[in-house]
Amino acid sequence: MRWVDMKDSLKNFWNDFRREKSGMFGLFLLILLLFTALAAPLLTSPDIPQKWKTYWLENPQNAPPAWSNYFSSTTKAPHVIYTYHDLHITKSKDQFGDTVYSFEIPYKYNYQVPVKDIVIFKLASNASSPLDAPHISIALRRPVQDGYSRVVPLLDETVSSNATIQLSTNTQVRRNVLNWLKQNKVQVDPTLEFQLLATMDTMKFLFSQIQPNIQNMMDNPKPLHGTYTLLVNVTAKPGISVDFSNVEIVFMGRTYGIMGTDDRGRDIWTGLIWGSRVSLTIGIAVAVLSVLIGIFYGVTSAYLGGWKDEFLQRINEFVASIPTLPILILLGVYFGGHIMLWQLVLLLVAFGWVGIAKVARSMALQIKEQTYVEAARALGAGTGRIVFKHMVPQLLPYAFAQIALGVPGAILAEASLSFLGLGDPSKITWGQMLNEAQRAGAAVNGYWWEVIPPGLAITLVGLTFVLIGVALDKVLNPRLRRM
Amino acid sequence: MGFGKYLAYRLFNAALILFFVVLLTSTLFVKLADVTLQSQIQETVQAEWNAYAQHHPGGHVNQSEFIKQRTEYWTDYYGLNKPYRTRVWQTTIKTLTFNFGQTRQTLFGTRDTTQIIKIALPRTILLFTTAQIIVILIGILLGVKSAQNPGSTVDRTISVLAMVTASLPMWWFGMIMILIFAFKLGWFPVNSFPDPTLTGLAHIKDVMWRMVLPVTTIVTVLFGGWAWTTRNIMIGTMQEDFIMAARAKGVPERKVIYGHALRAAAPPIVTMTIFSLLGSLGGAIITEAVFNWPGMGRLYWIALQQNETTLIVGLTYIFTLLYLTAMILADLTYAFLDPRVKVGASASM
Repeated sequence: MRWVDMKDSLKNFWNDFRREKSGMFGLFLLILLLFTALAAPLLTSPDIPQKWKTYWLENPQNAPPAWSNYFSSTTKAPHVIYTYHDLHITKSKDQFGDTVYSFEIPYKYNYQVPVKDIVIFKLASNASSPLDAPHISIALRRPVQDGYSRVVPLLDETVSSNATIQLSTNTQVRRNVLNWLKQNKVQVDPTLEFQLLATMDTMKFLFSQIQPNIQNMMDNPKPLHGTYTLLVNVTAKPGISVDFSNVEIVFMGRTYGIMGTDDRGRDIWTGLIWGSRVSLTIGIAVAVLSVLIGIFYGVTSAYLGGWKDEFLQRINEFVASIPTLPILILLGVYFGGHIMLWQLVLLLVAFGWVGIAKVARSMALQIKEQTYVEAARALGAGTGRIVFKHMVPQLLPYAFAQIALGVPGAILAEASLSFLGLGDPSKITWGQMLNEAQRAGAAVNGYWWEVIPPGLAITLVGLTFVLIGVALDKVLNPRLRRM
Repeated sequence: MGFGKYLAYRLFNAALILFFVVLLTSTLFVKLADVTLQSQIQETVQAEWNAYAQHHPGGHVNQSEFIKQRTEYWTDYYGLNKPYRTRVWQTTIKTLTFNFGQTRQTLFGTRDTTQIIKIALPRTILLFTTAQIIVILIGILLGVKSAQNPGSTVDRTISVLAMVTASLPMWWFGMIMILIFAFKLGWFPVNSFPDPTLTGLAHIKDVMWRMVLPVTTIVTVLFGGWAWTTRNIMIGTMQEDFIMAARAKGVPERKVIYGHALRAAAPPIVTMTIFSLLGSLGGAIITEAVFNWPGMGRLYWIALQQNETTLIVGLTYIFTLLYLTAMILADLTYAFLDPRVKVGASASM
């Protein structure tokens, strides 16, 4: 085919395809998906694949997405992280010659349920012995209630370098909060106080209005809205320097980001974005390879004819009679419980080419009888030339549609295997996300943000290719147009 | 080739495939079983030595000698000293004769793999075959309906539904159903495992109650595809000349559709029906696991979680057997129903 003809037929094709609304929608979705897959490191961060297998300690576990507040009567505080750039650290000397670093974090609170915890990560110092370790003191200034704003002292202790300071479960913090409550004339039953020291939800008390009886504050807390300020002072002995550059102060939210978190605190949104890579790779690789193999196999079989055709068809029948999923599971177990991505592609191709080969053969049987094939043979063209140059190009329209229609099957197969726990452990896949959700009992516990998005993503990718495939089929195989 | 000859040929073909699949599973699993058996023998021998040393304090039997002897005994007992080829062959024969061996843990009250599968199979039939029958009925009805008026609202809806359900995982839809109807609304139980304390009518009611969610899931995901396929077959048939002739004769439209067109379109539809009914016996591995329905699919899940190799071999065998039976039956019915299909036509081409 000459270049001019090719350009012309492509133009014609595009003109026809443009009229298929659903096909255009599919194309739009495909471009969006490809962009997401390619830009995953930029949209999130490049270290996600390594980080994915670990626990994300800086995130809350099983937190719903932040926007779920709009649909709920009890609004929950979202996750907030303050890093070095958000802190305005002032440095001064006290009377002992120690360096005092101090900063304040204003925090606006107007929700029904406060954060789970306030945690300070990665406060580093160059202290070599515990005696030299810097000293941290933390307090919280509350908004005005009954005429004045109260300051609650929370913590006062030395910290070793890179230690994680969790306020909510810290006994000293709990004792301080209880003492502060008692100073504000809140009645605390001694046995209850003992219990609270071990189990209290500290943040609930810090972020709610003071009531005369602690029992009321526990059963029926009234949130105190307004701007809170976290006051932090770090005192370091001479010669000891404190490094704030990596510090993270995390208000551990009850809600998180765009899609919430799972039981390991992992951000589901980043998982969704990275999962598109595996899904598209598997789907496209399997579909392209199996269609190409199927077409060549079918055409060759038809062209050769006679006993060779019969023999090739028997092999085809044999492969077609093997149930795919059970055998894949079997092989997965044999490979040590995990099928690597490339192995899976090869296996799915090994089972996927047969149907296409059958159709391609019957189509090629018709093409074989055309006079131009006869002419080519008469001119002395070899089998390879006739098959590749004269017969296969005739089947390309069918091939393109089949490639698009074959993608969802491959994606579903990968998702199913991943869901069974046989997937590639080094990759982030939607099937694995669903597997982990199922194992953590997400559906039963109502963690919808762990169940719905990965499946929707699978469906969306599948639908994209079905839409494109059906439209291609209509445009390229005009006999279907009347339907 | 006559019908009998064709049948014989297909049966031979299927038997060959079955044999190869079993041979493959045996080849893979004898290797896997080696590892598990070795460690099992080590544990047993160690336990034996501990027991022996306790009962014969001060006995003058050498520990390493004792362990060596017992290890040899058990290796011989399990046939581990036989060549690999022999053991693969033995496993193949055993599997082909439904002699899968024992599982490591008790499942459904027994450790005999064949027995376990026998218990699970009727449960799967109850759930999946029921659902499949509903799917087929609704699918054919809707398919015919939308073939009557291509381009109508019903037709468009079915096309869209078929496209969407073709690309979503059934087990995921099951999870969504649990989320909505079991967790959020609390209308149905989360766990489809029937209450073992109930008997008689109460038991039947309980089972039916627990079947609602899984059956709804299967039906919702599958009927769109069925309707769409039926529609396409029917539209193809409706364009045939004999339909036009029937209409021209003045045959009522109802009769044209159900009497002439559907009958002509029957072969592929009947084939599909057979295939999906027999295919439903295998259950949907993951969907059953999601609903905790104690059938064949759930067995697969358990076998994978607990690494029950004998169970996996047995299940693969049964699945392959069902699949091949379905293929043969479907092919034969097609050849039987559609006189245009000349048996073995490709041979003379």
